[in-house]
Amino acid sequence: MAADDVSRTDDATAAAAAAAAATPAEKTPAAESSPVTESGLSGLAERLLLEYSRTGDDRLRERIVTMHQSLVRFLAQKFANRGEPLEDLIQVGSIGLVNAVDRFDATRGIKFATFATPTIVGEIRRYFRDKAWSLKVPRRLQELNQAASRAMDDLSTRLGRSPTIPEIARAIGATEEETLEAIELGNAYDTVSLDARPEENGESSSSFSDILGHEDEGLAALERHGDLTAALEALEERESAIIRLRFFQDLSQTEVAQRLNISQMHVSRLQRRALENLKRLLAAQQMGA
Amino acid sequence: MSEEPAENALVTLTIPCAPEYVGTARLTILGVAGRMGFSYDQIEDIRLAVGEACTNAIERANRNGSNGGGASAQIDMRCLVEAKRLTIEIEDNVRGGASGTEGGEAAEEEFSAQELGAVLMEIVVDEVTLEAAPNGGTRARLVKYLSDTAPSE
Repeated sequence: MAADDVSRTDDATAAAAAAAAATPAEKTPAAESSPVTESGLSGLAERLLLEYSRTGDDRLRERIVTMHQSLVRFLAQKFANRGEPLEDLIQVGSIGLVNAVDRFDATRGIKFATFATPTIVGEIRRYFRDKAWSLKVPRRLQELNQAASRAMDDLSTRLGRSPTIPEIARAIGATEEETLEAIELGNAYDTVSLDARPEENGESSSSFSDILGHEDEGLAALERHGDLTAALEALEERESAIIRLRFFQDLSQTEVAQRLNISQMHVSRLQRRALENLKRLLAAQQMGA
Repeated sequence: MSEEPAENALVTLTIPCAPEYVGTARLTILGVAGRMGFSYDQIEDIRLAVGEACTNAIERANRNGSNGGGASAQIDMRCLVEAKRLTIEIEDNVRGGASGTEGGEAAEEEFSAQELGAVLMEIVVDEVTLEAAPNGGTRARLVKYLSDTAPSE
């Protein structure tokens, strides 16, 4: 529904000029008839919104939205250097605007632009968040960084000297600030392949993946094994025998019963007790350690 | 990687109150906030707020240009770096009232860029204070907290 509204807004853009031209004429009578003027709220937008909240007239809503496209554009521009096309930001910002129009309470006496700004900006920021970049730094900046270093090489050769920032900016079609930013930030945030071999005194060494640490499962298993052996030894002889036969040799309770010449019920009982004792012993060991 | 900087660090910058230098302020804060470990989005938010604060000062200077004047207009930016908090003070020496919107010439627009600038700042950083500076100008104080959790708000 919101998207629909946005596209309608686009359609209405052409009509906006005509509407704007007609506005002054319409404005005066509306101002006179509106009770809001008396309460000190004089903005055209606020009057239209009050009218809209009363009538629910879609054309009014459209007109308000169209009227505030410059606000959306103004706000979207503030976020334009974060690597998303301005048009997209205006699009999502417009959704925020439409929501703001529907939520605005014209009787509360605040300016619509002030009310709508957080909603519009919220929508734009959510858009960035939801983008969920695989990397923290937008690709645009990385590309800009690469383009800048290429341009630096090219220009150095061509000019026979190190190029200035404005020259690099012109070459890569970015602003000077963006260029500086790309040079400054791009390097710091660059990713490195795990297979890259960092140079050490001019000699290439092992790759990063070779020297990255990881949990040694074997070591932990060895520790656990040691604890268990000690605990098993502390168990009563018959209990420890049942644990070994049941869990180390994978025998069934019936088989264990035959081996030990006792009933299966008895094995079951002894096994439960043995496991409880083991748990207790292991816990005690950990406390001691 | 160098170790974390000494407990509280102070970075100051003075620029002419002119649009050409807003970029310098934005780049400076990029360096400061980047060091502190803010995420890319958070850094961009901080830079947005700094840009708005500077732009406000410049617009005020332009408006009062003819009448006020006196010493050449400039902007002082002070960044106080603490373990979990970045405080940025942006102070100008432009006489003629804090955030006072005259709503004069630009009345045909449905919004004033200056007013929205203030709203924008409030959205993107954690605390915003606007006050009169001792030198007669305006001081904007912006605070952004560094959260240990994954950057999200």
